[in-house]
Amino acid sequence: MIQFFHVSKQYPGGQSALDDVTFEIPRGQFVFMTGASGAGKTTLLRMIFREETPSSGQIVVNGRNVSSIPRSKIPYLRRTIGVVFQDFRLIPRKTIFENVTYLPRVLGVDTQDQKKMAYQALRRVGLAHRLNAFPPELSGGEQQRVAIARALINEPDILIADEPTGNLDPDLSWEILRLFLEVNLRGTTVILATHDRDTIQRVGRRVLTLDRGRLIQDQELVGTDPPALDPLAGTAEASIPDFEPSDAAESPPSEAPAEERPE
Amino acid sequence: MSILQALRYFFREAAVNLLRGWKVSLLAVLTIAVSLFIGGAFLLVSGNLSASVERWRGEMRVVIYLKPETSDADLRRLAAEAARAPGVHSVEPVGAAAARKRFQEVFPSLSDLVAGWQEEPLPASLEIGLDSRTAAAAPGREAWLAGWRHRPEVTLIDDDREWLGQLETAVAVVRAVGIALVAGLLGAAIFTIASVIRLTAYLHSEETGIMRLVGATEFFIRGPFYVEGLLQGLLGGLLATGALFGAFQFLHARGGGSSLFATILALDFLNPRQVAFLILLGGAAGLFGAVASLRREAL
Repeated sequence: MIQFFHVSKQYPGGQSALDDVTFEIPRGQFVFMTGASGAGKTTLLRMIFREETPSSGQIVVNGRNVSSIPRSKIPYLRRTIGVVFQDFRLIPRKTIFENVTYLPRVLGVDTQDQKKMAYQALRRVGLAHRLNAFPPELSGGEQQRVAIARALINEPDILIADEPTGNLDPDLSWEILRLFLEVNLRGTTVILATHDRDTIQRVGRRVLTLDRGRLIQDQELVGTDPPALDPLAGTAEASIPDFEPSDAAESPPSEAPAEERPE
Repeated sequence: MSILQALRYFFREAAVNLLRGWKVSLLAVLTIAVSLFIGGAFLLVSGNLSASVERWRGEMRVVIYLKPETSDADLRRLAAEAARAPGVHSVEPVGAAAARKRFQEVFPSLSDLVAGWQEEPLPASLEIGLDSRTAAAAPGREAWLAGWRHRPEVTLIDDDREWLGQLETAVAVVRAVGIALVAGLLGAAIFTIASVIRLTAYLHSEETGIMRLVGATEFFIRGPFYVEGLLQGLLGGLLATGALFGAFQFLHARGGGSSLFATILALDFLNPRQVAFLILLGGAAGLFGAVASLRREAL
C-alpha cells in the first residue's frame, strides 16, 4: 500500500528533514508515527499525499510512484487519501455540511447525494445533528471530529492524521483516537503522527519512530489498555437501517444548508 | 464533474465572492466602467462624425462665387458650361437677389444686415453638385477648378472637399486619441481587477488549500476566480453602456434638435453590435486580469 525506498529530503540551505528512510505499510494497517518535534514526521506524511517531494528515493502509494507522478494526476491521488491536521483546518464561514462536502463537490456529486454522504460521515463521528452549525459554534473535539468526517466522506484507502489530538484534552483525545481505530477496523489504512508516548503504549499497534530525519525504530507494541472497539460504531450500517429523510432531529436537511454565516 | 456542473459551481462561488467583498468588487467594476464609458463616448463621437462625413460626402458640392456685375444671362451661360463637366450631377445658378432672400430665410434675426442696400450685398453663385463616388478622384478635377479660378467672372471658389478632408483628419485623430486613452484606462482597469482577484484569492487561500488537499484540480480551484474577473468586467461594461446611454439621452434632451451636439456629434446612439462589443470588451478585460493575476500564484 505505502512503500518508502531510501527516501531523503534536504531543504534549500542543506537542512535535512528525512535521511534514507525505508519502510512498508501494508493495506489495512494502523501505524503510529512518533518522534520529537522536528523529527520529520510531518514531512514524511506530506510526502504520501505529494505535498512534498523527496530529494532522493522513491515513494509508492497504491502501486503508483508518487515521486514521479505528473502534477495533473496529483488530485486523483489525493482523492484516495484522507488527511486530518492538528489545527482542524475548517472554514469558519462555511457550515459543517459545506466543510465536509468539499470532495463530493469536486467530484460533481449532486446536492442530494452530498447531503446523504455528509450525514453518514458526520454520523460516524457523532455529529449528524450539527450539519447546519458553523465551526466556531463547536468545541475543539467536535471540530476535529468534523475534520475527520471530511477526511472520511469518500471512504479513502488511507487516512493520515498529523497530531490530531495535539490541541485536545486527554478525554477528547482518547475519543478521537478511538474513532481512528474504528475507521481502521473497517479496512482503512491509518497513519497517525503523535509524540504522545503514553497513548501509544496504551493502544499498542505498529510504531515507527523518527529521530532527526532517520527511522530509528519500527516495532509492534501490545497495548496495555486498548479501547473496546465496535467496527460498526457510528456507521450507517449500525445506526441507519434505512435512510430516513423525515427524521427531523437526525436526518439530513431537506433543503441545502445556508451558504453563509448570518451576520 | 461535467463542464456544466463546474460552470454552475464557478458562477455560484464567484457571485458569493462578489457579494462578500462587494466594496473591492465595486472598485474594480467602477474602474472598468469608467474606462469603457470613455471608450464608448469616443466610439459614439467618432462614429457619428464618420456618419456625418459620409452624409456630407453624398451632398458634396463646389460653390463658385461670381462678381457682382455678372448678369443673369452670364449666370445661365456659366451654369450650362459647368453642367457639361464630368462628375457634375447638378448645377444651380443662384442670383444675387435669390442669395439675399435665402440668407434672410435662414437667418431671420440677421435679415436687417442685408436689407436696405442700393446694390445686392451677396454675390451670385453657381452651386455645383458633385457625384460623391467620383468627386474626390475624378481625373482633371483640380485643373477644371483651376480653370474656373482664373476666369474673370469668378471671385471665390468654395470646395467642400477641402473641409471634408480636414474633418476626416479630425475624425481619425479623435479615433486615435480614443484608442490610446482607452488602452491606457483599460490597462489600469485590468490592473485593478487583477489586484482585487489576487486579494480575493489570498482571502480564500485557506479554503483553496483544503480543496487542493481533497483532490480538486487547478481548473476547479481557479475557475471561480476567473469567473469573478469575468463578471466584474461584464458588470463594468453594462454599467458603462448604461451610463453612456443615460448621458446621451440627457444631452440629447438638453441639446435640442438644432444644436451641434444633436446634429453632428451624437445623432445616433451606439448600434447593438457596438454595445455588445463594449460589454464583451469589459468581460474580456476582467477575465484577462483574473488569469494574469493568478498565473504565477500558487493560491
